[in-house]
Amino acid sequence: MAIKTYEEMNELEIDILKEIGSIGGGNAATALSSILGAKVNMALPGVEILGFNEALDHLGDPEELVAAIFVEMSGELSGIMLFVLTKEFSDEIMFRMLGKTNTDFLALEEIDSSALIEIGNIVISSYITAMSSLTGVDVELSVPQLAVNMLGGIMSVPIAMMGQHSDRIMMITGEFKIDGKALNSNMLLLPDVESLNVLMKKLGVE
Amino acid sequence: MEKKISVGIADMKITRQEGTLITYALGSCIGISFYDPMIKLGALLHIMLPEKGRGNDSNVFKFADSGIQETLRKLGAYGAVKKRLVCKIAGGAKMFEMKGGGGLGNIGERNAQNVKRVLMAEGLRVSGEDTGANYARTMLLDVATGKVYVRSAGKPERML
Repeated sequence: MAIKTYEEMNELEIDILKEIGSIGGGNAATALSSILGAKVNMALPGVEILGFNEALDHLGDPEELVAAIFVEMSGELSGIMLFVLTKEFSDEIMFRMLGKTNTDFLALEEIDSSALIEIGNIVISSYITAMSSLTGVDVELSVPQLAVNMLGGIMSVPIAMMGQHSDRIMMITGEFKIDGKALNSNMLLLPDVESLNVLMKKLGVE
Repeated sequence: MEKKISVGIADMKITRQEGTLITYALGSCIGISFYDPMIKLGALLHIMLPEKGRGNDSNVFKFADSGIQETLRKLGAYGAVKKRLVCKIAGGAKMFEMKGGGGLGNIGERNAQNVKRVLMAEGLRVSGEDTGANYARTMLLDVATGKVYVRSAGKPERML
C-alpha cells in the first residue's frame, strides 16, 4: 500500500531501509578503504523520521563547522544524498590522500576541496550503485557540490527541499570508522515519500 | 544569568523587557527580527520557505508569508504598534552551488525576496539586512536594547 507520509512506514519497511543503508554503506566503506589505504567500516545504519529541529539535534551542534558533499538524486528516486564530515575526518583524509596536516577548514586550498569532493563522489556513488543493483531502481546523480560551513546551515538545504510538503524528514544514516576510529562522519540518504513507494514496490513489499 | 531563548527552524518566539532571542545557523532559511522599542517587545521568526501556497500546512512559521502574518498578529496581541516595529533580516544563503539555478537551487534568494515583499506589503521597512552569499549565520536579538547581531564562521560578530 502506498504511503503518504513517512510516519506511515511499518517496521518491515523500516527494516528494509536499514538493509539498503547497510548494503549501500558497506559498499561505500569498501570504496573509501581502497582510496585511503586504511580499514574502513560503517556502523549499523539508522533510519530516523524526525521533525526539522529534532533532525538537527540528532546530527549535532548547529554551529559546528562541517564539510558536506551534496548530491541530488533524480530518475526513479528523488531526494538528496549528503556526506557530512567533521574537521577530524577531513584532516584524516587530507593526511592520507595529500600528506597534509593542519589544513585551514574555512580556507581550503583547491586541491583540498577537490580531494573532499572526490571522496564524497566515490562514497555517494558506490552507495547508490549498491542500492540500485539491490533494488533495480535507476538513479541519476547530480554533480557533487562541496560546502564547508555550519552544520545547521548545510542541513537547511535538504530540510527546505524535503520539508516543502512534510513537517518531518527521513534520514537513513551511517557512520564510518577509519582504522577503528569513529571520526564523526555521516552518510545521509534523504528520499522523498514517493521514492519510498517506488522502492517498496520494486522490492515486492505490498 | 541572562535569559536566552532559542528559536528553532520554522519557529517563532516573543519576549519582552529583557533576554536574547537566538536562532542558530540560518542557511537558506531567513531569520526576521521584529522589535517595538517603546514597550521593549521583540520577536524572532525563522522561516524556511517563501510561500505557503495552496497547501493546508498547519506549521505557519515554515513560510515567509504565513509566518510574518502570524508573528504580526501575535505581536499586536502583546501591544506592539506596527509603525513602531523595527525589522531586520539575515540568512538566505546559497549553501551549495546547484546546477540549473531554477527551483530549489536558489531557495535562499527566493526566501529573501519574498520576506522583503511580504514585509513591504505589511507596511514594514527592513532597516538592517545581512543576506545572500554562501555561508550560514546565527542571529540574535537583544530584547533589552533592540540590538541585532549576526555571527558566522570565521568572521567577527557584527551588529545589523
